Amino acid sequence: MSQRAEFRRAPGYWPRAALFYVYLLFLYGPILIIAVLSFQGPLASMTFPMQGLSLHWFSEVVDPGGFSRQDFRMPFVRSLILAIIVMVLTMGLSFLAGLAFRKSFKGNIVVFYVVVASLIAPSALISLGIGLGFNELGLQSQWYTGALGAHLSWTLPFGVLIMLAIFSRLDPSLEEAARDQGATEWQTLRNVIVPITLPGLIGVALFGFTLSYDEYPRTSTIVGEFNTLPVEVMNTINIAATPVIYAIGTMTTLFSLLVIFASFLAVYIIQKRRTGAGLGIARKAAKADSS
Amino acid sequence: MVRVITSALRYRAALQISPLSLALLFFLVGPVIMIMIMSFYEFTGFMTVPDATLENYIELFTSSLTGVNYLQTLKMVGITWVVTLVLGFTLAYFLVFDLVELRTKLLLFLLCVVPFWTSSVIRMVAWVPFLGKEGIINKFVIWTGISAEPLQFLLFSEFAVFLSYIQIFTLFMMAPLFNVMARINRDLIEAARDNGASGIQILWHVIIPLCKPGIAIGTIFVVSLVASDFAAVSLLGGQRVGTVSISMIIQMNMAQYPPSSATGVILLVVVLLIVGGIMRMVDVRKQL
Amino acid sequence: MRKTSSDTSKTGVSRRSLLKGTAAVAGVAAATQLTGGFPTVWSQDIKDLTLRSTGGPWSHFQLLENMANEDLDFTVQLTPVGLDEIQKRGLTQTGSSDLFEPAYLQMKFFWPTGKFMPWDTTKLPEWDKVVDLYKAPGKIWPDAWFGQGQNPSTVSYTSGPDTNDFVEAGSTQWLTAHPVLHNADTLGIRPDLIGRPIDSWAELINPEFAGKAALVSFPTIGLMDAATAFEAAGEITYGDKGNMTQDEIDYSVERLIQLKNDGHWRALWSAFNESVQLMVNGEVVIQSMWSPAVTAVRAQGVPCIYQDLKEGYRSWTTGHVLPNHLEGKMIGAAYDYVTWYHTGRVGAMFARQGYYVVTPDNTRKVLPEAEWDFWYEGKPATVEIYDPFGNLMEKPGTIRDGGSYKNRMGRVAIWNSTMDENKYLTRRWAEFIAA
Repeated sequence: MSQRAEFRRAPGYWPRAALFYVYLLFLYGPILIIAVLSFQGPLASMTFPMQGLSLHWFSEVVDPGGFSRQDFRMPFVRSLILAIIVMVLTMGLSFLAGLAFRKSFKGNIVVFYVVVASLIAPSALISLGIGLGFNELGLQSQWYTGALGAHLSWTLPFGVLIMLAIFSRLDPSLEEAARDQGATEWQTLRNVIVPITLPGLIGVALFGFTLSYDEYPRTSTIVGEFNTLPVEVMNTINIAATPVIYAIGTMTTLFSLLVIFASFLAVYIIQKRRTGAGLGIARKAAKADSS
Repeated sequence: MVRVITSALRYRAALQISPLSLALLFFLVGPVIMIMIMSFYEFTGFMTVPDATLENYIELFTSSLTGVNYLQTLKMVGITWVVTLVLGFTLAYFLVFDLVELRTKLLLFLLCVVPFWTSSVIRMVAWVPFLGKEGIINKFVIWTGISAEPLQFLLFSEFAVFLSYIQIFTLFMMAPLFNVMARINRDLIEAARDNGASGIQILWHVIIPLCKPGIAIGTIFVVSLVASDFAAVSLLGGQRVGTVSISMIIQMNMAQYPPSSATGVILLVVVLLIVGGIMRMVDVRKQL
Repeated sequence: MRKTSSDTSKTGVSRRSLLKGTAAVAGVAAATQLTGGFPTVWSQDIKDLTLRSTGGPWSHFQLLENMANEDLDFTVQLTPVGLDEIQKRGLTQTGSSDLFEPAYLQMKFFWPTGKFMPWDTTKLPEWDKVVDLYKAPGKIWPDAWFGQGQNPSTVSYTSGPDTNDFVEAGSTQWLTAHPVLHNADTLGIRPDLIGRPIDSWAELINPEFAGKAALVSFPTIGLMDAATAFEAAGEITYGDKGNMTQDEIDYSVERLIQLKNDGHWRALWSAFNESVQLMVNGEVVIQSMWSPAVTAVRAQGVPCIYQDLKEGYRSWTTGHVLPNHLEGKMIGAAYDYVTWYHTGRVGAMFARQGYYVVTPDNTRKVLPEAEWDFWYEGKPATVEIYDPFGNLMEKPGTIRDGGSYKNRMGRVAIWNSTMDENKYLTRRWAEFIAA
């Protein structure tokens, strides 16, 4: 409290604060509109005014029955599984790459530029190219092979750049200290590096998951015979003009919020544990070392 | 002894980078090579025929359309970059320097991130009830009497495309800036202030130079996202805005894979050159 | 058309013997057909087969899949994707499906690749029920219009079981695609916002509707709609609007750009949803529309008319193409599937969505007379009209816009086409977009 009393707002605080909250409104406006409009009654349009109030469009998505045009359930399950695989791989590969980039290795500049190129490459061409590559090998690309690769080419640059930022903050003396105290490489990794970089890793995981879960242009041609959710959402736009699209949007948002909440719960728990375990030892070691 | 250790370290680094390298080799380098090969194929008007012709590139470089497309793309990239930079910088500054409690900072930052996690197609469709002729903004405009007629430029226009770019891509500028600003040592700012520097001087001579890597990364994100966007231009621009990506997709939808590939390859090269230029000015990796 | 010599990707010998097997299959199919059953009960091991089909979400949905799996002994699995994706997957990921259902305007891209094999009409028991549009006359009725552009009959036949060419309709038994659906598009209008009768395509470019008109973003279709309007307005006479010369393309694109600069086009749309939204929100009062899109606008309580015009309709059709990788029993299953598709039940289901399956005589056997009269004869509804998904479409007394089947499909002025100047057209269209 006393600290707050002492604190004086910097000049320009209020305009900046106002800008921030206006930006938030701007960000959330369309999403809130989607949410509101998805609760309309069965005879509804896609714009205001609202026509009734019901959960009709949600039930269309969740349980379409046998007389429907679309069934979103399996595409959702596929997208979920795919996103989880992409998330795990993105985390693992980015983490390892982060470790590698700390030391210099041959061709690190090349790898770095390829990572950046991966971000830039036009999505539709990547998907075409992966499909052609599979053809050359006599294989048929599926959602769990070619599309998985296409997702990785999209999530990895984000993952690697985030990991580079995280690792650049990692004080090398922590590792050295742990090693000096007789910790093996593996112990140092497990008890020092992983715990410290974990929040960053969870950020990578979130990026990996959501970028994959929503990916359309790199996926659509090479998912094989089974569509993922974004492909099915695109189909909706090709045949329907009802709030069913909004219902999917709202559910996606809620689902993402759930994922984010779970991740932050994980961070919270880990941070609580972290104060006890490995890091404490390493910190003590570092202190002992510097004294 | 030292040499042995470094070579062991090198070996380990090579091992650590190999999964990433393999993934990118298979799913980026490989496909790009396929596309490059495709770009030398012949397109007969209906069919793609394996060949080694420069025709697609010659056509691309001699067509007046290419220049128009690139100007439009550069305009979209430029304006989006300036706006997201100013906006992203101010927002990050607010979060880092104006707010005191870490928890509030993180919470507000997270609030900016959440909307990013919805279906992007749906997020764009949702602009229609907002910006349309009978949308919320126009209802408000007419109600307040700002204009008697609904404002048409709000939707199916460059304006609408910019709006969606700024909405989504500001985060990509803000996040790296947030990251670098959070690491600026407050003592530096205090020292500058003690030496009599004004607020503007501190901003210009202390904060902005230290933010360069963040700006560079944000720029890379924004440039590549805008240059390769197709969905926003199509859904919100009413397909009346002709960027390089739009031309590429039109060709692709007309089964003209070789010319489309050539367009894509050149776009990739151009954006890579821009990014290379940025990285020449700021060593992103060193300062990350 | 171009004749590609039989290429190595085709295994002619084995294929021919396979087709012989198919003949037997089709024979049994025909026999069971006579007894009223569905043409499937011929072999036990076919039960393990899964036939995958990829096509538009307007024809590949859960309900049809369920119907097929009720009636057929093998499993049918439908994968819906947009029109652009059908083409991309069909041409570059042919192995991802056992059947593709592209639009006929894409046939000039599909057929010459050599990745597909022809259907043998002698092994299709329902082939004689298919309307004459896909046979030598190229029209459903003798007095129907042939239409400009790519009449379906012109891309329906190939010279032999291993060829990639197009030949004159009815000259062989080899079909490039087995026709599935067709319908006609025309201008959709908002009568409440226009307030006067509209009877010509020329209205699409009427300055009265500046800023309130829209165009389809698919290059050839958008250009053909505009050309129809320019011609109707008496500006120019085209040799063939569905197959323009470079000069004609230049004229059309220049005019399109001029109109764009005058602020005439509110938007270009590519998805069904967009065309409906444009109308519902009053952004646009006149644009070419699909019949179900007009229905969707009305379903939201907004008046909208699928306007009958004196120049006639622009029409489209889709067909199943058969990838080369199919072998033996799979080919049999594909033949069984398309045969089943045309026996009437599917036709009745699509009729209730406003589309026509190409075997109307069989559809009529299944569709109740009151519904037939509404959907095909253009008579006022005598019962409540429901779509196949159980939604009420029209109340008794309403008449279907565009009139009868014959009024629509008998007056096709132009077919969705791919023009000989495809490459030039695409570039010019991109210039229009960028202008």
